[in-house]
Order: sequence, then structure tokens, then C-alpha cells
Amino acid sequence: MSAPTDSEIYDKICELLKPYNPKNLPIERSSGIMSDLEVDSVAVFDFIMELEDHYDISIPMEMVSDIKTVGELVTAVKGLTA
Amino acid sequence: MTKLFDKYAPLQARVDMMMKIGADALGVKFDDILSATRGRIGTQEILLAGTNNYLGLTFDEDCRAAAKKAVDDHGTGTTGSRVANGTYAEHTDLEAAMAEHFNMPSCIVFTTGYQTNLAAISGLAGDKDVIFMDADAHACIIDGSRLTNASTIRFRHNNPEDLDKRLRRQGEIEGGNALVVIEGMYSMFGDIAPVDEFLDVTHRHGGYLFIDEAHSYGVFGPTGCGIAEEQGVLDQVDFISGTFSKSLASVGGFCASKHPEFEITRKVMRPYMFTASATPANICAARVAVDKIKAGGHLRDNLKARAQQLHAGLKALEFDLCADPSPVIAVRRPNEGVAAMEWNWLMENGVYVNLAVPPGTPQSSSLLRISLSAAHTEADVKTIIDAFSRMKASQAEIMTGMMSKLQAAE
Repeated sequence: MSAPTDSEIYDKICELLKPYNPKNLPIERSSGIMSDLEVDSVAVFDFIMELEDHYDISIPMEMVSDIKTVGELVTAVKGLTA
Repeated sequence: MTKLFDKYAPLQARVDMMMKIGADALGVKFDDILSATRGRIGTQEILLAGTNNYLGLTFDEDCRAAAKKAVDDHGTGTTGSRVANGTYAEHTDLEAAMAEHFNMPSCIVFTTGYQTNLAAISGLAGDKDVIFMDADAHACIIDGSRLTNASTIRFRHNNPEDLDKRLRRQGEIEGGNALVVIEGMYSMFGDIAPVDEFLDVTHRHGGYLFIDEAHSYGVFGPTGCGIAEEQGVLDQVDFISGTFSKSLASVGGFCASKHPEFEITRKVMRPYMFTASATPANICAARVAVDKIKAGGHLRDNLKARAQQLHAGLKALEFDLCADPSPVIAVRRPNEGVAAMEWNWLMENGVYVNLAVPPGTPQSSSLLRISLSAAHTEADVKTIIDAFSRMKASQAEIMTGMMSKLQAAE
């Protein structure tokens, strides 16, 4: 499988975030996952597990702690799938 | 300019909302504790159904006598760490008694349960190791992993197949090991880990299994060692931790291991080295409680019967329960506001349970969490069921009350 593109990863993240975003807040690359989208600290990790399974990668908790925005998450996943 | 506490504004708004509805569920003050199952607030007697006092030993005559004697013999505090002047003969006697109970060569005693996992996990996992933790792991397990430089991966709750997948995905851990951390019985839902399956997966990948039996030590197993003993695999578990503040009815914690080399971690665990040791009273009360637990089959039998009674009673009332019968029974509520209103109603009607809300709960759920005690009688449990039944019948009135309180506060 070829490495996913930046925009494919962004689209997948938006899709996986849907159930964690019941208020349907607009998702931008600059959106803070916890601060803007109001995903709580436990739910963030549940969402990350789904992303890990989709791309068959490991995103360790210490890496997640440093990721604040959707855009930063896209960059991290791109690095792990390259 | 931003002020120091501005970051807590959203949380403050949530607390303000709770306070409009009623009392602060996270700041209850009891004016007196009368027994293992009764407290008093003002002039009202409250049936305690959320204290994790699983065996009801807080008022046990022998445990109390041991604590009193310890104060008389050794004073009120140790004023020192375990690695300085804070290790008394009683601390090491308790460690030996617990090691013997688990039939393991090593057991270390800590000052609180929270510090136990902080210390043990940070002592065990080095830079090159990888921690795999259950998705519903308690805060002290998460915080313990944060004290390490080890990479930490979560796996799906109570799912050994998912752990297997993530261990495979990780592959060879160069220069390090996998430390898999689970709990015996999970504190919020009261659901139980398939320890035998986790052992199989962990050891197949060459890892070490660490079980936190905080809510299950004393409660499960023929001699009360916990879920691993209940499932007949205690001898294979690498590390078992737990607390004194539940079934042991004191304050403190322990970690036992089948690896004698565990002893070396006394020299590196910061939450062990840089805090005062547990008080003589706490240690001596716990020491007597260990013997009570070993011989406590009758207590476990009653606890099991009460759990089945409560689970069946609440199920018959068509409440949404989070797991099979166990000493923790969590009732799932539609949202935080309803749960808070009902929690207040139960308090006003003389029953204390726990209000548990996100992010402290799995699946972002809002819960009325009940923990049972061997000291609860059949009549006590009937009182709890009756209260939930009346609460259900009063739903309309409770919701109207919530609306009017919120409007009055506007």
C-alpha cells in the first residue's frame, strides 16, 4: 500500500472525529482537538486508537500529548506512514 | 491579560451548573461516620453505598485495636521516608505477610495506593521499554507512565486480541521489554479482566504482566488475593499492585512480584523514596486486615450475594447497568445533568452513591456508581433498590425540580 497523502489523512481524521464531535463544530487544520472540538482527554485516546488501526501504526501517548491541532496530527500520521 | 485561573473557566462553568442543581458531589462532607455502612450529615443518617469499603473492615474491632496500639507504641507519624528513618519493623512485617499471601518472593509497601502505581510503573519501565496499558486504566497508571521515558501504547479495554495486535505491530523492542498493565476489576464499571488470556498474550510476546488489584484484592479468590487467584493464574503474574484503602480499610498500597529482583526498585522509585512512609497506625491496621482477608470467605460470600441482589433488583427496574454483578455496580444515566440531579435526590433520601462523570469515566458516560460492602445487609440493599425505584417513579418531579432550580439561579 502506498503511503497516504496529506489530504487523504486529513479527510480520514475528519471522518473518524465525527462521532466525537456531536455538536458538529467545523473541523479545520488549525482546530485544537481538545480546545476547539471539545473532545475530552479520554475520548482523544479512543479516537487515536481508531486512527492507529486504520493506518496500522503506533501513536504513543507521549506523542499524542504533544499534538494539539488537527494539522499537527496530520503531520504526525504522515511521518509514521511514510 | 490572561490570569492564572482563566484556563479553568470552562470547568468552573460546569461546577457552577452542578451547584445550581444541588450540592457539590465531589465535595461531600460527612459530619460523622457511624459504621462501615452509615454516615451522618447534619441530623440525617445516610446509608453509605459508594465507599469502596468492600469487606466493611473500617470498624473491625481487631483492626481498630491494632491501630490504637500502634499509635501508643510508635507515635502518630514516622516523619521520614522508607529510605531514611521511616521503615519500622511493622512495615517489613506487613511486606513479609503480603508476600506470603501471594506466595511471591517480594512485596513493597507504599504510603498511598496512588503512589504505589506511580512508583512501581516508573520504577519498572525504563527508556527503552514500552508500556501497554488498558484503555480504561486508572489515572495513577497513566500518571505512572508519564513519570517514565518509556513509550506508552493503549489497547482496547479488556481485549487481549487487541493487545496481541498492538504487541505484534510494535515488533521487537530493541534493548527493552513490554510491560503490560491491566486492572483486575475496573473501578467505574466493575467489569473484570480476563487475566488468564492477558497472561497468555503477554508472555507469548515475551512481556511482563502488571495487574492493579486495587478493587479486587480481598474481594475475589479463595483466599482473597484477587482476580488472578480467582482465575487460577496467580503464580504466573509478574506484578500485582493494590491499595490498603479499600478492602484493607486503611491507607497505603503494595506491589508484590514473583521476581526477587523487584527489590532493587526500592532504590529508584521516587514516589517511594521522596515521601514519608505510611503511619504506624495505617500499617498495623492493614496487617490485621490481611489476616481477616485470608480467612474472609464468609465476607466474600455475603458481598457476592449482595451484589447479585442489587444487580437483579436494578435490572428488574430496567436500569442500564454497565457490567455483570460485582461489588461495583454502575448505573448509566443519559447525561451529567440528570445524573447530578438524581445523585442529589438520592442524598436527600438518605443514600450515598458516587456521581461519576467524564473524563473520569469510560465511554464519556455519566454514572451513579454503587460500591457494596460485606457489611451491607440484605435489608440495606433492599433500601438501595427501593430508593432507585422511587427515584425512577419521581423522574418527572426531579426534572421539573432541576429546571426550576436552574431558572431560579438565572
